[in-house]
Amino acid sequence: MSVAFKSAVDDAVLDELRAITGDNDRVLPNLTSRVNRTRVPAPFPVHRWSEFMPDVAVLPVSAEEVSEVVKLANRLRIPVVPRAGGTGLADGAVPLRGGICVDVKLMNKIREIDLTDRTVTVGPGINMLKLNEELRPHGVFYPDDPASYPCSLVGGRIGTGGWSLLGARFGHTRDLVISMQVVLPTGEIVEIAEGGGRKLRKSSTGLTLKQLFTGHQGTLGITTEATLELVPRPEVEFAAFFAFDDYMKAYRTTGALTKSGLATLAGVVLFDEWKLRYLRRDDEAYIPQPGWVRAVVAVAMYGTRAEVEPASRRVMELGRSEGGKYLGDEISEGDWASRHDRYATPLHGRSRDGQAVPMSWHCEDAALNYSVLPQVREEWHAIVERYIDRYGIFDDWGMFAYTSGPYKPWADYLVEIDVGIWEQRLDDESWAGWVACKREIAEVALKYGGSITACHGATREGDAELVPSEMGSAWEVVKRIKRALDPNNVMNPGKQMLDEAYE
Amino acid sequence: MADYSPNGDGELQREFVERWRDNAYGCFSSGHKFCREVCPVMQVTRNENHTPTAFHADIVAMEKGVVSVADVADDYVHCTQCGACELRCPNTLFTGDFYRHRTRTVDVVKAMRALMVATGNEREGWKLWNERLADGTNEPVLGDVPVSQEHVRDWADGLDLPVGGDTILFVDCEAAFYRTSYARAFALLLQRAGVEFGLMREQWCCGGPAAEMGYVDLARKHAEHNVADWRAVGARRILAPDPHDYIAFTEDYPAYFGDAYDFEVVLGVELVAELVRDGRLALTEPVERTVTYHDPCRLNKRKGVHEAPRELLRTVPGLEFKDVDHVTQWSYCSGGGAGLPIEKPEITAEISRRRVARAEALDVDALVSACPWSERPLSQAADGGLEVMDLFELVARSAGIEIGGAAHGPAGVEAGGGG
Repeated sequence: MSVAFKSAVDDAVLDELRAITGDNDRVLPNLTSRVNRTRVPAPFPVHRWSEFMPDVAVLPVSAEEVSEVVKLANRLRIPVVPRAGGTGLADGAVPLRGGICVDVKLMNKIREIDLTDRTVTVGPGINMLKLNEELRPHGVFYPDDPASYPCSLVGGRIGTGGWSLLGARFGHTRDLVISMQVVLPTGEIVEIAEGGGRKLRKSSTGLTLKQLFTGHQGTLGITTEATLELVPRPEVEFAAFFAFDDYMKAYRTTGALTKSGLATLAGVVLFDEWKLRYLRRDDEAYIPQPGWVRAVVAVAMYGTRAEVEPASRRVMELGRSEGGKYLGDEISEGDWASRHDRYATPLHGRSRDGQAVPMSWHCEDAALNYSVLPQVREEWHAIVERYIDRYGIFDDWGMFAYTSGPYKPWADYLVEIDVGIWEQRLDDESWAGWVACKREIAEVALKYGGSITACHGATREGDAELVPSEMGSAWEVVKRIKRALDPNNVMNPGKQMLDEAYE
Repeated sequence: MADYSPNGDGELQREFVERWRDNAYGCFSSGHKFCREVCPVMQVTRNENHTPTAFHADIVAMEKGVVSVADVADDYVHCTQCGACELRCPNTLFTGDFYRHRTRTVDVVKAMRALMVATGNEREGWKLWNERLADGTNEPVLGDVPVSQEHVRDWADGLDLPVGGDTILFVDCEAAFYRTSYARAFALLLQRAGVEFGLMREQWCCGGPAAEMGYVDLARKHAEHNVADWRAVGARRILAPDPHDYIAFTEDYPAYFGDAYDFEVVLGVELVAELVRDGRLALTEPVERTVTYHDPCRLNKRKGVHEAPRELLRTVPGLEFKDVDHVTQWSYCSGGGAGLPIEKPEITAEISRRRVARAEALDVDALVSACPWSERPLSQAADGGLEVMDLFELVARSAGIEIGGAAHGPAGVEAGGGG
């Protein structure tokens, strides 16, 4: 077994890192730099903080620096954990064995805006909202739009294989990355595309490597530059929210909307009764809906006026076809505009006896087909209910189903159950309970032919153990690829059961 | 690496954690770290230690015994207390009213800095600065040039301003000693409009900067002096043209004195806008310039004041005003606040450089601000290219007033340091 070992960072290594960067301020072995690169905003066992700290953080400014750092790590078998925004919801950037945290936030430059071949080339440390501020004067935008749009960074989006709220129309992160530069676990800098050609969207030469390097959770390398899609800025944005007195009516309406064939459809979101109950906890700020509302369907379209205006009439017909009640322009426009901020606030956390307590947000993000949504919903809520009863520090924040197929919204959903966790009360027993809860949720997804995760990554305790069974007969191929590219298991070791590649 | 064992700063640290822990958890447990990309310091350093979220996470880590105040002290220097993070916090934006919750990052930073002072973890530059403040009663704005009581009213030479009265004009140290044209322009505008006001008998620094750097006792001492001086002359109404003073008088002082603090505090820019609106000041002289406006953080982000300055700019004849909305400007800053230029002048300079570059991209020939603390670093960043103008100075010019005074310190003074 060849596994990188923990805590091999000594003064000699620090000296080498300083020599690579030529800047002591970008090699940070001090405690607070490590403490602040330990967790991501997912529930975290705060009582075990020190177990997850890297030994040193390095802030490179170039691919060459990243390459030299990784070569050093590979030579000395030191774990490397890439970190961009550190805003993921599944621990991809959480070090499991210490080592060197390669934090790419300083690599946030825009290298090239090509308005002719419609690409923008950026460093992995840039944020999408900031990127779009720069693109706006050119009449184009980069439509990768997760809930974390104002804070997540392009490198993390690529590493986790991100999902976009507008993916049904514009594609998700992997569809929007045209090519990239990657530092492999052995330190080589390689250009990864469909075939060759940094700005080509489709090729059949060689192997299509690009997909391999999106969504690997930092286990196959570090993206140091990415060439991204530029999309014409839509003339029109249309959003409509419909209320239902019954989940199944909302479910069927969702199906009708997604199968409508409207090409400008950017997303359909189905909120269930638990989610509405959660949002109504703040009755001043959220949809002050009457008690009969048990489900809501939100639809968004983006495109030219010539397309969206007639299509919006069809959406209004379909939205009402099963008895849906349109919630009006104000709620529709306002809620869609605030979609990044609103649906998982920690302040809505409630203890079992109804006290408001700040709770951390776990967002389970299985990928499931349309046909199984109602059944999974019932089983997931039942699981969470049992754990709430037993531990008293969890809270059911309800479920969403979002369209997930890129350009093909009709059959795939990112299905999310949001669970609040009162981190202040976590101890070993309740943490173990939480991990067990997660595992049960993930097992249900697999039972119904789904995947543990549509976007966050199966990198957490409770999910990770199930990766080999989800991958099934392909798991052997995964292990061979991992071992071939990372012979010493230095790249984000311990994630997704990939240690099995070295057994 | 050796295992860390927290040295614990004892009782004070425990009290601090007790006081701030729950507010910190509100941030810590949020999945949305939307404050980071609007933070002017984070935009420059890109260091996760310097993010508003880290300032809260550190408190949680402190509670768990993972870090102590000595470990985190340098991180908390990296803040201008501009308040952008609080505005962009989803907790504050969407559920804050309902839960009466506000993410209080500015207060957290101030409290941590106070803890740094109390536990012997103070920063060298701030220590010196505050020692000099304690010696001289006015902040050492000018580096090597003496700042003293004797000269605190020099800016008003020839204006024939009385001392005392019902309404007192409080002139910020930066304006009294460095950008004297700012103070003169404001006073002359009031005189022109027939507003009666006097100066203090002995004006000390407002104490706000000391409080921002964690020197709470010194800040309080200054507040007590100033309030006693106001009371001694029977003042009821305090005019605060400088946004930093306005914060001190409307946030710090009420916290010190409670209900006994019953002064009416008037913000300069709102008063001038009102005088123009009411026809008591006529802006008749055209100013043929193309300008944009810098929203000073303490007006826009801390106090929600963004309309009055724009109203004035739209009233100046001849002026072409290319506006950038105040929400976009949440992520703009000069870097001049909360003592940052004293400890980290390179970060202030870079924040200002970026702000000036944004103005230049609008194809304007001047950047107008309304805060003297921003005007020094912005002017230095512009380095003779784009002109950095002050709003009162611009308005006074349009009112046909000859201002006098200096925009960049008395002749021969080395610019730098800031305050």
